[in-house]
Amino acid sequence: MRTVLVDDDYISVFLTEKILKREGLSEGLCSFQSPEEALRHVQQSIPNEVPDVILLDLNMPVISGWDFLMALRPYEAQLVGRCFIYVLTSSLSPSDTDRVHEFPLVAGLIHKPLDDLQIQTIHAQVAENRN
Amino acid sequence: MSASEQFVDSEQRFRSLFENNSDLLLFQDEDSIILDANAPFLTLLHLEKAEVLGHPLDDFLPENLVSFFRQRLNEAFQGIPVQFTVAVQFKGAEPKVLSITKVPLLVDNAVVGVHMVGRDITELTASNQLIEQQARRLNTLFESITDALILLDREWNITFLNQEAQQLLKVESQLAVGRNFWQMFPAEVGSVFYQEYHEAMATGQTVRFEAYYTTGGLWLEAKCYPSEEGLSVYFSDITYRKDAEAKQERLTADLYRHNQDLQQFTYIVSHNLRAPLANALGLTQLLQTDDLEQAPLLNHLHTSLEQLDSILQDLNTILAVRDKQDVAEAAEPVLLLDVLRQVVDSLQEPLQQCGGEIVLAVPKDLHVHGKRAYLFSIFFNLLSNSIKYRAEERPLRVTITGNLDLNGEVRLNIVDNGSGFDREKAGEDVFKLYKRFHSVPAGRGLGLYLVNAHVEVMGGRIEVHSTPDAGTEFQLLLH
Repeated sequence: MRTVLVDDDYISVFLTEKILKREGLSEGLCSFQSPEEALRHVQQSIPNEVPDVILLDLNMPVISGWDFLMALRPYEAQLVGRCFIYVLTSSLSPSDTDRVHEFPLVAGLIHKPLDDLQIQTIHAQVAENRN
Repeated sequence: MSASEQFVDSEQRFRSLFENNSDLLLFQDEDSIILDANAPFLTLLHLEKAEVLGHPLDDFLPENLVSFFRQRLNEAFQGIPVQFTVAVQFKGAEPKVLSITKVPLLVDNAVVGVHMVGRDITELTASNQLIEQQARRLNTLFESITDALILLDREWNITFLNQEAQQLLKVESQLAVGRNFWQMFPAEVGSVFYQEYHEAMATGQTVRFEAYYTTGGLWLEAKCYPSEEGLSVYFSDITYRKDAEAKQERLTADLYRHNQDLQQFTYIVSHNLRAPLANALGLTQLLQTDDLEQAPLLNHLHTSLEQLDSILQDLNTILAVRDKQDVAEAAEPVLLLDVLRQVVDSLQEPLQQCGGEIVLAVPKDLHVHGKRAYLFSIFFNLLSNSIKYRAEERPLRVTITGNLDLNGEVRLNIVDNGSGFDREKAGEDVFKLYKRFHSVPAGRGLGLYLVNAHVEVMGGRIEVHSTPDAGTEFQLLLH
């Protein structure tokens, strides 16, 4: 599973990596603490090495998760159905939950902390899509 | 010309002056006997000359003036001209006001007679009185208006200021009238007053404005009416109103700042505070130990973090409700029975477990203006509480009745036969956060707080009555 993790919080990155590793899904994982670099990576991956999953934090400086999603808008046609974005946030704000519906690339919103069950659900969705 | 001719000439000139004079003229001797009278006098009295000459003036005077005229005549015979004004009605004549001069005729240093010259000033007096009367009326008018008033001439001299103006400007009329306004209030030269007054005077247009009067430390509201004569300025003290306005503005700014703080606080709670907590929760999930001593420590740590997280989630819920003060505007009609049925459906499982029943006696078309999600939350919390705090010794029964009252407001009563609580002891705390009125089963003390918050946001009211071991009744008033 090609996974891109975008999160400026290094402890959160550490946790997510650990859980993916425990579930045996860490192969093909690229973690970015800088959303700019992550964005460049995703743009360059089009069309042949599109990630299966992007785990995207919302609350980041300079480029927020929302900015990241806006920046991917022009690539939506190339990404939809191939790349599933999961918004990964510690925020409890209900407005975030409403807003993810504006982006067709977003497959779901996960409240931190990420756990085994959620990762397995994501993996199952990706696997189903492949078949 | 000879001396005799001169005499005749002067005699003729004198007669001509005497006869043709428009004033009343008499020549009297010491005993007031009229020796000569001119035509205007005779006309006034409607008498012929023969009927007058040889009679004392007394005969033609009203009785109350006889001695007065005698005295004035005597004074004139002392050799001094006498002048006085008198209102007199000669017998058979119209009433007149006369300005009278008595001039003694001196021959060889002896007074041989007195000329009386009476000038008719009746009309003059009348018009003077009219002017005085009007001035008095105007004065009363100016004083009776509650505004302060200053009249200025075109050279900025003060011609009048009423009592109120004297008080407001702290000047006395005697010291102000006749003085130049700007010399009297030099600090106001160049002020708003100065500019506005000049504007009114120059354009001839009425000017209204509010300005701070530096000299007196007052806020004044002024109206200037220019005219040919100058400027009429009406003004009143609006310091009180201005202070109140300023206070209101400060209050609004304060409230705005507090609201900003609260929004900032909400943001911190939902983002900044939650992020490290989520990490800590994730880390404790990853931590595993086989050590029998360490295991309970880890367990307690995880529980503590979860408790902290649930408080944070409560706070976020509360702040989200408080933040949505625009609900009243975004209200939509919601059918109550619809929402109630939905809530009862969602509570089927616990209801069946405890063998309780909920009776809905709400008219099908009864609706309120509000937010469906809030109404759901209100009924869900109230009914959950009824189930949670039911009386073990009897099956739970909740009755919900609703109707539209005479004021067009919707009244809902939710009555249960549960364990109840001591309403009096609960007092004001009943809808407060984290306040609990039952020791078992466990609760967080959030439900009623949220119910009240949701009701208030929709502009409604809620009251609760409860009796221990009998039940609880909630009365809801919605629009």
